[in-house]
Amino acid sequence: MSWNATSDTAPWWRTLAFRLTAGYALAGLCLVFLATASLYLVLRMELEKSTDLFLADKLHVVRTLLRERPQDWDGLREEIELESAARRYQQFYIRLLDERNTPILTTPGMAEQLDLSLLARQIQSRPDHPFSMKGRHGQSFWVTSASAGVGSPSTRTDTIEIAIDVSQQEALLARYRRWFLATFLGCFAIFPLIGYRVARHGIRPVEEIATTAQHISSTNLHERILPEGYPFELASLAHTFNKMLDRLEESFERISRFSADIAHDLRTPVNNIRGEAEVALVRARTADEYREVLGSCLEEAVRLSDLISDLLFLARAESPLTLLRRERVNVAELLDGVRDYYQATAEDGGVSLTTAEGAEPVIAELDRALVQRAVGNLVSNAVAHTASGGSIVLATTLGTGAEASTVRIEVSDTGEGIPPEALPKVFDRFYRVDTSRSQASGGTGLGLAIVQSIMLLHGGSVGIDSQVGQGTRVTLRMPVSGSR
Amino acid sequence: MRILVIEDESKTAKFLKKGLSEAGFVVDVAGDGLEGLYLAQEVDFELLILDVMLPGLDGWQVLTRLRQAGRRAPVLFLTARDAVHERVRGFELGGDDYLVKPFAFSELLARVRSLLRRAPPRQQETIRRADLEIDLLRQRVTRAGQRLDLTAKEFLLLSFLARRAGEVLSRTLIAEAVWDMNFDSDTNVVDVNVRRLRSKVDDPFPLKLIRTVRGAGYVLECDQ
Repeated sequence: MSWNATSDTAPWWRTLAFRLTAGYALAGLCLVFLATASLYLVLRMELEKSTDLFLADKLHVVRTLLRERPQDWDGLREEIELESAARRYQQFYIRLLDERNTPILTTPGMAEQLDLSLLARQIQSRPDHPFSMKGRHGQSFWVTSASAGVGSPSTRTDTIEIAIDVSQQEALLARYRRWFLATFLGCFAIFPLIGYRVARHGIRPVEEIATTAQHISSTNLHERILPEGYPFELASLAHTFNKMLDRLEESFERISRFSADIAHDLRTPVNNIRGEAEVALVRARTADEYREVLGSCLEEAVRLSDLISDLLFLARAESPLTLLRRERVNVAELLDGVRDYYQATAEDGGVSLTTAEGAEPVIAELDRALVQRAVGNLVSNAVAHTASGGSIVLATTLGTGAEASTVRIEVSDTGEGIPPEALPKVFDRFYRVDTSRSQASGGTGLGLAIVQSIMLLHGGSVGIDSQVGQGTRVTLRMPVSGSR
Repeated sequence: MRILVIEDESKTAKFLKKGLSEAGFVVDVAGDGLEGLYLAQEVDFELLILDVMLPGLDGWQVLTRLRQAGRRAPVLFLTARDAVHERVRGFELGGDDYLVKPFAFSELLARVRSLLRRAPPRQQETIRRADLEIDLLRQRVTRAGQRLDLTAKEFLLLSFLARRAGEVLSRTLIAEAVWDMNFDSDTNVVDVNVRRLRSKVDDPFPLKLIRTVRGAGYVLECDQ
């Protein structure tokens, strides 16, 4: 019953198909059993009831005859002796006894069918209650007795005994029992088969998803499940799975783009160092020329080590073991410090750089150096992308309402803005809006990625709004307290 | 002053020896842990520069044995790995400072000097370099008798350069000392500030005090 290639090791009774099949079969069999059993019981009850009614009816007739027309001997004889003989099935026998238990009238053949002395004993032990007994030939009889007053008013009391042959009914019930048993056995054989088919049919999409999942590797992440014809729940599973693949594919693309970028950014300075040194060594040069080459090599080496330390920072920030050195920080003071640092650069660019006056002091437990770095990166970007005459404002506020325990830092500029299609990617490593990747556009392209890492380390987030030509606002959000 | 460099990468050892010698130190070099440990126990060095990843004995082991042998010379660790727990381990074992490769040589030199500077620097009231005079108490700067009008940060920057005159100070170091910015990025901010400072301190005068060391940083020359 192994239907799943991956379940080689799972025993068959652990498979979903088996469980579903067993469930369906059990439910079906229970249903059939209940239905047949109740039908059988109802049938039996109805048969017994009709027999009882028949007996009661007979008793009533004989009683009435005895009471109303005690002298109508012929009528009584006809009722007792002839009526029964006329019947082919369900024959009944009546015996009329006087007060001394001497039979007055007896349906012919009664003594042949029934042991009359046994009948008398049974009736005495259970007066007025119908009961069943076996006849001389093994047939089943249903027996009842009643006393009846003779004449009106009654002169004496006779006893009427009626026995009816119910072997036909018993045979009917036995046939029914056999039929029900056969039905039940049939279902027992068929239900698991049907259940198994149904289960397999239901599980097939799951198997297909599993097969697709098995096929997927880093080289064919584009494969997707076609959920056509799937039931709703599984279509939604397939959809979720496809979404996951979309994200995976995107992550892989990012990683491969990252690798390409990192190769570019590492190779360029190494290539410069190598080339310049090689060319310089081709022939003898003046000390100034050597100095120039060495200076250039040093610059490239510094660029390379900055890149390495940024990359290491990002890699470390992803490790869950990275610990923050949290301390109580007056955020407004921190912003003032960053503003002072960039003040001269901003002034050179003709940009006003200010911190907004907050209504209340914002104190939070943060890693001062890291937050300083995050804000510094943002201000550096803002200064680089804001034309002369623009302004940059740093502001911090404590969150309100749902963000009550959050500290917000905003860096807004009136710069050139970021095109909407670039916005989702600005936090990617090495992503630059200006794709020419020229050094003139500045930075390693890791600045915002580092900002994001720092926020994640603090359990916070970073958001960016931008309008081309209007400016950009980056918002940092961090929990006020480090206790998580 | 004698310094022992224990470093297996020969190029690194070579430039360390050259640079430190030119800065006026006597330098010995050991190429592996065992040799380094032996030398450190035989000779009384005033400072050890110790690479962490060494053949033979690694830096941790060398330091542990040295401290067991009662050698108290300060130790500056060099490593290409800078996980925080390694840093902590270095300090726990009795290392005095920790520098991650790649490092600026000027940075190393600054740290070596600060480790060897046994007594804390005397709190000076005025610093005089050539015709520059900085009055730290009154926050006043004069050059050739002429009063210079500096902002608070420019004053801090100039006094930092003047106090460490003759030392090449990296941009990172300057950003840290003057603005308390503890990160490496965007150090051209320092360039802008140095340029502004120069326009006030150097431009009006024939003798230029602040010199750019390409790729390394800035130095205030005082022996010209």
